[in-house]
Amino acid sequence: MSKSLPQLKIINRLHVFRAIQRMTQEQLAKEVGVTRATIVAIEGGGYNPSLELAFRIARYFRTDINTIFSIEEEIK
Amino acid sequence: MKRFDSTLLKVFLYGLPVVAVLAIFAYFYSTGAVNHATGYAKFMNSFTGLVFAVWMTLSIYLSARLMFSGPFREQVIAKITFLRERDEREVILTGKATKATFLTSLAILIFLFCLSCFQISIYRVPQDKAVDGKTGFVSLGLGFSLLQHEKQDIAKDTIPKEHIFTYRGLPISSETIILILILWQILSYNYSMRRLIK
Repeated sequence: MSKSLPQLKIINRLHVFRAIQRMTQEQLAKEVGVTRATIVAIEGGGYNPSLELAFRIARYFRTDINTIFSIEEEIK
Repeated sequence: MKRFDSTLLKVFLYGLPVVAVLAIFAYFYSTGAVNHATGYAKFMNSFTGLVFAVWMTLSIYLSARLMFSGPFREQVIAKITFLRERDEREVILTGKATKATFLTSLAILIFLFCLSCFQISIYRVPQDKAVDGKTGFVSLGLGFSLLQHEKQDIAKDTIPKEHIFTYRGLPISSETIILILILWQILSYNYSMRRLIK
């Protein structure tokens, strides 16, 4: 009945932004109000943040959400 | 109310070691290991009874509060089960772990229900009571009782039987089953959470 939709893989450049700012995962976690484990999971691609958290991260780095998070490819 | 409940909870928890010590004393008192004639022992026995009464009342009150008060339940049960929801990821993982726990618990409950309902009896009857020349029988049954005492009213056999194997529901007491289920819920949740966090 329902059409199988291609899976979207979200990639992020969080580690790049963090490296530019010379920040530790712990510091970033504190700034955006999550645990360090969550930052580790986001950077490792194991967890996709909510829109709210994605916006909070983007706002912290004073950039657009698309610059940090983007869709890499479509996997069937 | 919140402060009152918290105070009672602290009394309950800090009273646990006292209750344990008094329970040991009550055991020795009932077995006669402690001299009943001394006034001190009598006083201690009465005091133990009073402490037990207070502690039992507290237990009933607190368990009822856990059922009806959402914030109190979250405060207490979250600590007992080591539930952590520090950020959105942990909230999602908690949901997943809770789902896994709920489904496995339900599966266990269905399995236990089957085990408690089914009755199997393998027996032999004397040669003169044989049916079609057969003396060995396998009897299958399904028992469901709403109340516990109904279960005990099992019809007595009119024919003398040599029971080879008899199974009439779970041999474990209801208290043990409830305790196992409580422990299972805590262990299952924590195991699922650990697996998801990795």
